[in-house]
Amino acid sequence: MRLPERQLAVLEAASATDERTVAEIAAETDLKPETVAGAAFDLAEEGLVEVGSVTDETLELTDEGRAYVEAGLPETRLYRAGLDAGADAEPVSMGAVIGGADLDGPEVDIALANFARKGFGSVDDGELSVDPDADPDADPEATALAALADADGESRSAADIAVDDAVIDRLDSRGLIAVAESVTRTVTLTDDGVDALMTGVEATETVGALTPELLASGEWRDAEFAEYNVEAEAETARGGRKHVLRRTADRVKDVLVGMGFSEMEGPHADADFWINDCLFMPQDHPARTHWDRFALDVDPMEEIPDELMTRVESAHRDGWGEDGDGYHSPWSEEFAREVALRGHTTSLSMRYLSGVAGAELEPPQRYFSVEKVYRNDTLDPTHLLEFFQIEGWVMAEDLSVRDLMGTFEEFYRQFGITDIRFKPHYNPYTEPSFELFGEHPETGEEIEIGNSGVFREEVTGPLGVDCDVMAWGLALERLAMLTTGAEDIRDLHGTLADIDFLRNAEVSY
Amino acid sequence: MPVVDVDPDELRELTGHEEKEDEELKADLFGLGLEFEGETDDGEFQFEFAPDRLDRLSVEGVARSLRYHYGDARGVYVPNTNDPEWTIEVDESVPDERPYVTGAVVRGLDLDEGALESLIQLQEKLHATMGRGRAKGAIGVHDLAMVKGAPLQEGAEPSITYRGVDPDGDTFVPLDANDELTPAEVLEKHDTGTTYADLVADLDRYPAIYDDLGLFSFPPVINGKRTEVTTGSRELFVELTGTDQWTIDRMCTIICYALSARGATIEAVEVNYADGATHPSEYGPELVRPNLDVDEKTVSHDRIETLLGVDFEPEEVVDCFERAGLDASYTLGEDVSYEVEIPPYRVDVLHPLDLVDDVGRAYGFDNLEPRYPDVGTVGGRHERSRLEDAVRTSLVGLGFEDLLNFHMTSGTENYDRMRIEPGTGGAAVADADEPNASAGVFGGGDPIAITEPYSEEYTQLRTWALPSLVMLLERNTHNAYPQDVAEVGFVAERDADADTGVAESRHVAGAVARRDASYEAAKGRLQAICDDFDADLATPRTEHPSFIEGRAADVVVDGERVGVIGELHPAVLVEHDLEVPVAAFEFDLDALR
Repeated sequence: MRLPERQLAVLEAASATDERTVAEIAAETDLKPETVAGAAFDLAEEGLVEVGSVTDETLELTDEGRAYVEAGLPETRLYRAGLDAGADAEPVSMGAVIGGADLDGPEVDIALANFARKGFGSVDDGELSVDPDADPDADPEATALAALADADGESRSAADIAVDDAVIDRLDSRGLIAVAESVTRTVTLTDDGVDALMTGVEATETVGALTPELLASGEWRDAEFAEYNVEAEAETARGGRKHVLRRTADRVKDVLVGMGFSEMEGPHADADFWINDCLFMPQDHPARTHWDRFALDVDPMEEIPDELMTRVESAHRDGWGEDGDGYHSPWSEEFAREVALRGHTTSLSMRYLSGVAGAELEPPQRYFSVEKVYRNDTLDPTHLLEFFQIEGWVMAEDLSVRDLMGTFEEFYRQFGITDIRFKPHYNPYTEPSFELFGEHPETGEEIEIGNSGVFREEVTGPLGVDCDVMAWGLALERLAMLTTGAEDIRDLHGTLADIDFLRNAEVSY
Repeated sequence: MPVVDVDPDELRELTGHEEKEDEELKADLFGLGLEFEGETDDGEFQFEFAPDRLDRLSVEGVARSLRYHYGDARGVYVPNTNDPEWTIEVDESVPDERPYVTGAVVRGLDLDEGALESLIQLQEKLHATMGRGRAKGAIGVHDLAMVKGAPLQEGAEPSITYRGVDPDGDTFVPLDANDELTPAEVLEKHDTGTTYADLVADLDRYPAIYDDLGLFSFPPVINGKRTEVTTGSRELFVELTGTDQWTIDRMCTIICYALSARGATIEAVEVNYADGATHPSEYGPELVRPNLDVDEKTVSHDRIETLLGVDFEPEEVVDCFERAGLDASYTLGEDVSYEVEIPPYRVDVLHPLDLVDDVGRAYGFDNLEPRYPDVGTVGGRHERSRLEDAVRTSLVGLGFEDLLNFHMTSGTENYDRMRIEPGTGGAAVADADEPNASAGVFGGGDPIAITEPYSEEYTQLRTWALPSLVMLLERNTHNAYPQDVAEVGFVAERDADADTGVAESRHVAGAVARRDASYEAAKGRLQAICDDFDADLATPRTEHPSFIEGRAADVVVDGERVGVIGELHPAVLVEHDLEVPVAAFEFDLDALR
């Protein structure tokens, strides 16, 4: 017969006459106790051994019990104080004796209850008499406690200290000792086990790695696989991962596509006309000055429809509609044609709304982009020169501020941000305008999460759009920092990125 | 965004609400869009607000808004203006670059420290906003008692003159100085003069204001010491010069409203543009200022209802207008519309839509119930976005860490450290069977330079992505290898044929950095990507300074030369402090389409 090595070892260590404990066998075979137990049960299933169990009680002093070992049991102290007060001769007032016994609080009740029970004396009408023949030194409860104290912290069984079960129960019920049970497994050879050993048992071989050869030959059936420490650390496997910001962008795109938005694309380098003039940003607006934008050293852009240029200029100079007023700001076509890196992706919205990006759009439409924008801002942990802007707009007849609120509530709800607040705001290109605030899902902090509004007629009119368009934007990095917990945006984005940070950033979904 | 400093005690006094606690005031102002930012050293509250309501740039304007908010004031208020005594004569010598002037006389003032500070603040904040740093409009406030406008003849009115002066043509003692200086000397020697020198330095003649005693103000740079305003000043002469009459008139209006709120009386002045002087074409050469005329716009009831999504009774709308400091009248009929009167300090109202916003604010946007628009559209991503995503998925599957690098870089990083030179890009197309030596260096396209870069590190757009990958490897030499990194990203180079003069494209770049990195490792991965997209790959030998000679090839996809692959040159590795070999490839994303 063949048995796995560890089963064989247990079988050989077991005896037909003695019950041997698992611990004893483990010590002898140099196996772990749990391995021995596992093997023993396997052998029991084969009928080669019997696995028995012995339940042991072990006793331990409680804090209270330990205190009484020092001071004496309360009833004993009462008895001795009674003797000192002469209560063996005639009854003595309780108060004096209790004082002499140094009892207080609950100890008094404990002392009285056990005093009578143990026949140390009696209490009548507040007077105490003691029985001179009683012998507290022979009290088995005190003896048991003393024996346990001698064990010096190690627990003992009742048998070890030679005490009646009744005494143990009493001490347990008085809360002076704690009784714990433990089960010890024992192993005994059965007749079959003895026979097997007599006939001879061989160990099966253990196998390190499962090989194609083992599989093909069928030898795996008899193989025992060498045990691994399955709890040991393994080196983390490194695959590639999509950039954490890209994943956040993907999530945003999924949400928006699900809400019926189509994606826009368009140039990063664009004419100021598309970036600012179409947005009714006056040409002398502070954000259009040289220190806020990245102008490029290329020729002015020629390809702008003349009619559109004229209409936009007219909106700037004279306003839009009968009661419209223009800006009292300089306007030059030359500036409008200058090429710069876009400071927002609203340039894409302008291209789409004007129809130059494709077909003329008829309402209703929903469009979005999650694309890079460039701002000549100061670099710091929360500001980059380049970042991603989420931009979205809805075009429909008679859109109201309530539709705007409903749309954005739905969008932010997808990211766990509920209860968003709309704070009235001002943008040159939208009216009414709102800053969006929401509660951070984890910190509970109120944070700005976007800027929104209904495009002014000075914006939509020149583009040839005669229905309402509501729009909003926010920085993708702001969402990503919330979801990844990154504290310095430069850890994520750009050539300063830490590859370890990217490898370990939590996956969001 | 503009910040206004407000003394809370003055605010209580000007609103007539002495009982308001500081916190109540802050909360009420937050409701108006003024956010508490902190306190100044003197304990004044600082509020930040969006730059539309520039009439709120001083405590007086903030108090006026609060009074409307509390319901203490309703409808349009216009201060009385007395008939003019003074005239501003505009001489033809005024520089063409700064032709316009306006002004007002203010009498019956009792300026305490707080009021004077507030006036100076308002002046500075208006300079920074509407005045575009004094370029578009600059304010000078003078003690009228010190201005000598003696009539030239019996019965004529007193006047001052706006004219041009040669840079060294006259002298005066400017504020914060003790010596007589010429305007040119002010620009050179005086602190305020050097700050604003750029505004006038190029002019042949400088703007100047004269009275009977001579030069006393040098707009937009500095006033003279003689007419300095103090807490003892009881009467003021306010003058504004600038490049746009409307703008300086409105700045003047905001000043007049603020001083009127302090109990002063506004007195008009005449502005006479001489023959030969540029005058504002829309108003003619003779003006009476300040212009406190009320503007009027029409807005339909229907537009208000559709834009706010609320059904209103006309009376409710009128009530909202009045609480916003506007007046409105309407006639009942099929299509109700409102004639709305707008006070002159409301420089932000350009269109009837702005009035709808005022109704919304007065009604309370918080009271609107959000609703999801009942409009169906079909969403989707555009093709390039889907392709980029698919390629990223392939790269990640091959074990590459997906990167996201900046599009802005420097010539040093883009060319020098990669051992290539700008302007060597050449034609992109070559024959797969016959390596074309004159095809140019991949990545060597002409740069798009940023005219005023943030720093030397960001002077141009990157023409290729590989330098970014190598920079990232350089930053991560302390981290564990292998480091296989890739990016699908934006690159740009000069192209006269493009609309914008900029050829924008997306490149796929990958780098394998590890002890055993080899050409084969890079090519194996490149091959896998091409297989994913059913693209036919060939790698004819090429020469490229970034790679080891004999270990570099063109990436030719479906017969077109679209990129480069090879083992990075040891000189490039050493330049980037890399101690492991790197094999890399880069090609145009469109090749996989």
